[in-house]
Amino acid sequence: MLSRRSLIIQLPAAALVGSYAARAFAADKEVTVGINLPLTGADAQAALKIKQGAQMAFDDASAAAGIAGYKVNLLVLDDGTATAGQYDPAQAATNARKMVSDPSVVAAIGPQMSGSGKAMSPILSQGDLAIITPSSTNPDITNPKMAAQYRPAGKAIYFRTVTTDAYQGPNMANFYADTLKVKSVYVLDDSGAYGVGIADSFQGQAEKRGIKVLGRDQLNPKEADYTTILTKIKPLNADSIYYGGVAQAGVKLAKQSYDILPKLIKGGGDGMHSADLLSGAGFPAVEGWYNTIAAPHVLDQPEVAAWAKRFQDKFGGPPEDYSITAYDAGLVIIDAIKRVAGSGKEVNRDNVRDAIQSAKVKTLQGEVSFDENGDITNRIVSVFKITKDDKYPLDDTIHQYKYVGVAPAAS
Amino acid sequence: MPNPETAEDQPRQMMGAPYTWMLRASPLQWVRPYWHKPLGLTTITAGALLFPIISRNDANIDSAANALAFAALALGLNIVVGFAGLLDLGYAAFFAIGAYTYGAFASFQIEPAWSPFWQPFEWLGLVAHMGDVVHFTVSFWLMLPFSAAVAALFGVLFGAPTLRLKGDYLAIVTLGFGEIVPIVARNTPSVTNGAMGLNGVAAPQLFGWSFGVNATPYYYVGVALVALLIFCSTRLKSSRVGRAWMAIREDEIAAAAMGINRVKFKLLAFAMGAAFAGATGTYFVAKLQTATPEMFMFPVSVMILVMIVFGGIGSVWGVVLGALILQILQSWFLEDLSQWLHVLGRLVHVDWLQRVELSSSIEMIFGVILVTMMLYRRQGLIPATRPVQALSMTEQTAHVGSGGSSHNFDRLRGLGTLDREADEPLLAVADMTVRFGGLVALRSVELTVPSHSVVAVIGPNGSGKSTLFNAVTGLVTPDAGQVRFAGESITRLPPHRVLDRGMARTFQNLRLFPGLTVLENVMIGRHARLSTGAFGALLRLPGTKREEEAAREHCLEILSVFGNRLLPRVDHVVSSLSYANRRRVEIARALASSPKLLLLDEPTAGMNPAETQELADQIKGLNQLGLTIVLIEHKLDVVVRLASKVIVLDHGEKIAEGTPDAVRRDEEVMRAYLGRSVAVA
Amino acid sequence: MTTGALYLQQIINGLSLGAMYALLALGFTLVYGILELINFAHFNVFMVSSFIAMWALELLGLSGQGVVLTGFALVGALAFAFVVTMVVAGCLGVAIERLALRPMRAVRGTAAMITTIGVSYILFNAILLTVGAESKNFPNPMPSVSWEIGGATLRLREVLIWCVALVLMAGLHLFVNRTRLGKAMRATAQDAEAARMMGIDVDRVIITAFFLGSALAGAAALIFGLYYNYTSFIIGYSAGLRAFTAAVLGGIGSVTGAMIGGVIIGLVEALGGQVFAVRWTDVIIFSILVLVLVFAPTGLLGRAAPTKS
Repeated sequence: MLSRRSLIIQLPAAALVGSYAARAFAADKEVTVGINLPLTGADAQAALKIKQGAQMAFDDASAAAGIAGYKVNLLVLDDGTATAGQYDPAQAATNARKMVSDPSVVAAIGPQMSGSGKAMSPILSQGDLAIITPSSTNPDITNPKMAAQYRPAGKAIYFRTVTTDAYQGPNMANFYADTLKVKSVYVLDDSGAYGVGIADSFQGQAEKRGIKVLGRDQLNPKEADYTTILTKIKPLNADSIYYGGVAQAGVKLAKQSYDILPKLIKGGGDGMHSADLLSGAGFPAVEGWYNTIAAPHVLDQPEVAAWAKRFQDKFGGPPEDYSITAYDAGLVIIDAIKRVAGSGKEVNRDNVRDAIQSAKVKTLQGEVSFDENGDITNRIVSVFKITKDDKYPLDDTIHQYKYVGVAPAAS
Repeated sequence: MPNPETAEDQPRQMMGAPYTWMLRASPLQWVRPYWHKPLGLTTITAGALLFPIISRNDANIDSAANALAFAALALGLNIVVGFAGLLDLGYAAFFAIGAYTYGAFASFQIEPAWSPFWQPFEWLGLVAHMGDVVHFTVSFWLMLPFSAAVAALFGVLFGAPTLRLKGDYLAIVTLGFGEIVPIVARNTPSVTNGAMGLNGVAAPQLFGWSFGVNATPYYYVGVALVALLIFCSTRLKSSRVGRAWMAIREDEIAAAAMGINRVKFKLLAFAMGAAFAGATGTYFVAKLQTATPEMFMFPVSVMILVMIVFGGIGSVWGVVLGALILQILQSWFLEDLSQWLHVLGRLVHVDWLQRVELSSSIEMIFGVILVTMMLYRRQGLIPATRPVQALSMTEQTAHVGSGGSSHNFDRLRGLGTLDREADEPLLAVADMTVRFGGLVALRSVELTVPSHSVVAVIGPNGSGKSTLFNAVTGLVTPDAGQVRFAGESITRLPPHRVLDRGMARTFQNLRLFPGLTVLENVMIGRHARLSTGAFGALLRLPGTKREEEAAREHCLEILSVFGNRLLPRVDHVVSSLSYANRRRVEIARALASSPKLLLLDEPTAGMNPAETQELADQIKGLNQLGLTIVLIEHKLDVVVRLASKVIVLDHGEKIAEGTPDAVRRDEEVMRAYLGRSVAVA
Repeated sequence: MTTGALYLQQIINGLSLGAMYALLALGFTLVYGILELINFAHFNVFMVSSFIAMWALELLGLSGQGVVLTGFALVGALAFAFVVTMVVAGCLGVAIERLALRPMRAVRGTAAMITTIGVSYILFNAILLTVGAESKNFPNPMPSVSWEIGGATLRLREVLIWCVALVLMAGLHLFVNRTRLGKAMRATAQDAEAARMMGIDVDRVIITAFFLGSALAGAAALIFGLYYNYTSFIIGYSAGLRAFTAAVLGGIGSVTGAMIGGVIIGLVEALGGQVFAVRWTDVIIFSILVLVLVFAPTGLLGRAAPTKS
């Protein structure tokens, strides 16, 4: 039988630990944090950025003051499989069980995809293991109406350092109505769970706000040609389009809509806030696209810019939005472990979960705390507009996305 | 049946007995009894049952349970691809249908408004009255067979339009269906919740206890499911149904000519494969408690195909092993394997070994496995057919018994028995015309075959002899003309119905089922005279068993017509036989259908004079047993010896008819054979 | 924009798509005509070719949308890219035939086709693992010239696609019908055994078919890149499947049929998306595939015998 220990990535031990005694002492106090991301298949690129964000949080903490004398090992699990060709909910469920059945795991980060979250949440609930997702935004999992299904054991275990689609879409609809003065919109999505969800919630609020929804269709992200749908939109004389989805289809949409619908206002969710969009579609096609992120805008603050620089140096590539939320998830867990240890209680799942529930942590995106369902209480949705800045690399998300403001919350 | 007890007991008595070529007395000497491996089976069963107790790791048990689901899928696809040879590239569609059949009803997805209509269902415990809507509470255990049935129905729906298509076209159409089903699932959110995925699919319950999220009970359900499907697969494979599938796989035309209703058995294969996937889908979605359309896309279909190719197409245990290995490899071992490689890399100071991440290249690895297996080991890990021990020198050089009519063929005695007046011809072909495009292959050919006679059809190459056989047996549809057989019109009947009426044939170019054994080939010839269907094969009631045993004995007796040419080789794959022996197998296969009329297309082609003589004797013997025979033959001495009437075709027209002697003297025949100039001179 | 102009625009879109599908369909049809093999590797030969085309253009210093060429520089750059892409793609096709498919030639049944699926997987992952998953900004050196026709916009790149497709298809037609090797190909397609007996080097014919088919996929990949200014490791599957549908629709094995089939599928995609919704496009296309195979298994111009005989 294989030892699960062989899986664990040994993090660089804290530099301060020098003496043999101290090392022995540290070895007694080890805990594990699970990470579950689709590191194989279609979503691998984004998953890697998230993993790096999370890893950096623990590296930083160990290198600095340490984590209350605890050595934190990361158990990195992959829920992408060749069978599914992408994230695989069945594998996510297996991974949830791997974490639950390993008594040293006290908290977890992930998953990337809501589909995996749906499969993991009931298992984690039974195992009383808290997980913090940096990116899955489907509202069902933390919806109190579905608590019986997703947290059968009662307590919230599925926490988010991002807001759900329930805010991002509607707030953008408000921004369309209030700031951009849009009268009519055509709504597209990329057929994925995230894209459909955010486009649905946008569409609902847009209709409420009196924006005329001229139509709704789905793009096949594996297809190259969107000229048909764009040509179809052209004679409708829409003011704008809204696209819910990730960059895979977004790249082609940006390019082709630049040709066919150059004058329309175009916007999307956080799926369009990515380096892949900037490098894949490039200027001038992406110029002027609006998008939101489900967090306060922090990247232009000096400490965050420094953090981004360190990230770039450490991993050889720029951070993405979800690298930040993953880093923040790591900070929340580190804070929880410290507080549990500080209060003299045992660092176990139950106590860590309670500590996460009551967290008030200063993170890159401001202070993070959670409501009783696990959703982040800070539901600020920030709006950006892609504006070319020649002083920086053209795929630098931090400088090519210009912060516009906060999207008004839906009342 | 003369004495079944003796017949069954004999092989055991004869085991190890010195070689006696008393074949008549003991044809069953050559039949090896079904070889059970109770030890192996017990070990596997015990291992499967004890695994959760030994492992005690919920994640590994869950991994194994997922792998079992894929083993079940592989077993289903194996029926379609492995047994029936129908390449299905959209198999995940049925998996999806099964998953959503349960998922939509067992979640809160479909909730129609309450009306008195639902009252009886509430009493049955199938629905619950929740507020003003209906909530479905159908038990998982009921839905398991129900989803299988729904998927089977879709299997028939998808299969029906594609049956006429050749293998690779079929693959493309199934691929199309495989694309359409997830798209429809995504675009009908009212039933499936679309891309967002189902929420809270109910876990199975057993005696009021819910499985919840505990992996172990699911694991045992998976074991039971796979065990059941292995049981079904092995039973089907060794039954009349399985033989029919394999016959279709090996040679569709020959299968039809041997009485197999291709449409019916192809649809059955589709339905059966789909049913396996449907049940598995229900199991999978109940275990996962959610489902999204992405779980059923093309990569899944391909992966199941890779699993069966890896394990051994057509091999029941092989595909299970293939699925378990590939699935457990990815979900359980691959990351450990990467770590070991990193350690190895550090030890031997190889840089890239320390960085290799196997899990990200798993698809590449599977592609390489697929190609390598195809190039170097097409039969997979556990081949479907096991090699048979070669005959010993003694066996090979043993005296060749002649078989033939001198023996007392109990079971063949009824050959050609006709319950009608003998004066009407058994076969009457009138005005038969066949055109291939502009070419007239047959022009208004007339032909009558009296009962119990031997009629020879001769003519130069390309004169339309084989076309005549094809048109009579339904393989080619004639443009004009009638065929009457045993007093009834059989014009334009499909080939399997023609055989059913009592007309069997062989082919000029040999159309055996090359991958099957001698006995299997002949048993397929018996197909039309047996009645076992899918359910019969699965239940294997005493009646079915008797039928199968009787068929085996019958086929062995037929093989003994050729003396000991074939009997020592009944378990050999026919492609390993000599050409002459293959001809004999084909005749035996035709005889197995108990025909009234046997059409032989150049039966002695490729045989040496001695063999030709031997076969001619045997054909004569069959005729003496009452069988009517029409043969196409080039060797005139054979024709003269056997035939009472000869028909000569040239350029699709009948140019002469009469006794062999009369035809031999006919001027036009001379001209046709030797060319006009010779005749004129 | 009037309804007429809208439909005219969709027809222009459809014809451009159709031209690409037709070039890709020719590769399926050439191989199928001779080996009766559905070559799934062709999907990803197309995808790999688009990267080759991109690298060829980048070799000339063209990247992204920054550099626009005109006149001889443009013609020269495109000619260079076409030659390099088609030759490399053709060699890739030949390599696949030699290494993976030739040993399978004597094997009955679907084994060879399953092998092509494996090869396709390998090509797909080779690009994914080496180049990465992100979408690529395919260089486009063409000036954005366009004309107004009846309210619809006709762009230079569309004209280029049509011209390239027409020239290549005319060239292939001449090759198949006029040259010795072309005649050998047609003879082999009719009856490989008889052709071999008549002294035709069947191996050479098969290699030629793979080379030509893959080279045409290379040309299709280059015009794909120029048209969408985009490529990615995922483009093979969707385009390949539609091109295959086009080949079947036209009658697989028929060169003219593949061209007509490609154009029809392109128009169906554009007009189907216009009349219904884009999310149903794949369902429409595959329904056409199923209906054609069921009711006219030989396609529009194909030869007979779709059932095994």
